[in-house]
Parts: sequence; structure tokens; C-alpha cells
Amino acid sequence: MIKISVTSIPVEDQEKALDFYTRVLGFIKKHEIPLGEHKWLTVVSPQEQSGVELLLEPMAFEPARLYQQSLKEAGIPWTSFAVDDLEGQYQRLCDLGVEFSIAPREAGSVKIAVLDNTCGNYIQLMQEL
Amino acid sequence: MPSKPKTFYEMELERVYQKTSFRPEHYLQIRQSKAFMKKYHTERIELNDLAAVAFMSKFHYVRTFQRMYGLTPRHYLRDLRIAKAKTLLRQGISITQTCFDVGYESLPTFSTAFKKCTGLTPRAYQKRHQSNLE
Repeated sequence: MIKISVTSIPVEDQEKALDFYTRVLGFIKKHEIPLGEHKWLTVVSPQEQSGVELLLEPMAFEPARLYQQSLKEAGIPWTSFAVDDLEGQYQRLCDLGVEFSIAPREAGSVKIAVLDNTCGNYIQLMQEL
Repeated sequence: MPSKPKTFYEMELERVYQKTSFRPEHYLQIRQSKAFMKKYHTERIELNDLAAVAFMSKFHYVRTFQRMYGLTPRHYLRDLRIAKAKTLLRQGISITQTCFDVGYESLPTFSTAFKKCTGLTPRAYQKRHQSNLE
């Protein structure tokens, strides 16, 4: 069986991203392995610590930077995370100063909201209805 | 205070969902059946029960559910049961007890479904979790 073990998101600053993904979003750091001038830096959900790891990948490739900027300008999320209670998370994150480009709204069989991860990307939070 | 202008993404979302073929009541009907499965997934559930909860014919129900959620109600129910089984096995509950507690009536059917979803037999899953704890 093939499983998804790691997926990645490009970030401008790995330390800043680690702070946002752990302190603000609530993930847990799993791997931090020095690799040249950067690190292999991954976080996981506290609920699934042996599940899919999110690699906070340093933005070190110019065409990727252009792609990232184009997505951001269009408001298109780089990826989506699942939540059980979107309204609760929205309030919690707003209280922590997180900015949303889309407040919670229904979209078919899901409810979504889109937040700015402060590292160059939008992230969609999604609650299945 | 003026509201923020909508992003391209938000406008596209609105455009796409305006074109959706589902009527609003269909979403509510299907959600009712999902809530029913969440509540009663440890008991015997027949497709007839689910279609009745959604006020649809069996055929229309399965087709609509699959188009909305990308999997059949049967697979959705299986995933709910296996998620619950993983929790029970991690708590050290026996495989036979877990099988019945999550709504399966046959151990081989449970083991096959579990392996299909997790890649491991219930025994291997429980063993791996216990060795991780040690």
C-alpha cells in the first residue's frame, strides 16, 4: 500500500514558519535535521503524530517563488487542513491575530475559511458538513 | 467600514457553487444520513435505513452521496468504523471485542476491512502500537 507520508509548503523563513505552525496553528515539531543552510523541518497534527508530515520547505527556487506569489495574489490557498469545528478555530485564530481572506462560509458539502500563514501562503481550513 | 474586496479564489468559488447541480435541501438530506451513521455506526445499519433518513430512493441516495463526498455511504461507514476500531485497539481492547463494538458481525470481514484501510491486520496494528508505547 502506498501512503502519503510527507507533503510540503514553501516558506520564506523556516523559524518564523515553525513558530506559526506550532504556537498558532497547534501542530507539533517532528523532525528538525540540518541540511546545508536550511533544515529538513516537519510538523504533524497532535492527533496524528505518526500521520502525514508537513514539510516547511525553504523557498530557494526562483520559479517556485513566482508561483507562490501568483497564488497568493489570486487568494488561492496552497493547501487545506481539516478541522472539526471551523467557527471555533476561526474565533481562536482571530484572537491570536491571524488574518483571514475568507471568513467561514459554506461551499457545498463543506464549510471553509482561508487564512494567511504569514509565510507567503494562504491556507484553507475545511470542515466537512 | 468597507469590506475587503473578494479575491479571485472567492469569486471562483461562488461561480462554481452557483452552477452546482445539487439543490440546497439535498445537502441537508445527505448530511442527515451522515449524522445518522456517526451516531449509529456501532450498530447494524442497512442501506434502506440510510436512504430513508435522507428521504431518497436507494439508487438516488448512493449516487448523490458519492457525488457530494467522493465515496459511497458504505465506504464512509466502513471508514467511521475502522477509525473507531483503531482507537479501541490502541486502548488494548481485544480484537474480537473491537470487531463487535464497531458494528461488524464477522471477524474475517472486520479483519479484511481493517487491513484494506490501514495496510495492517488488527493484530499487527495493536502489536505495533504496543511496541511504540514501550
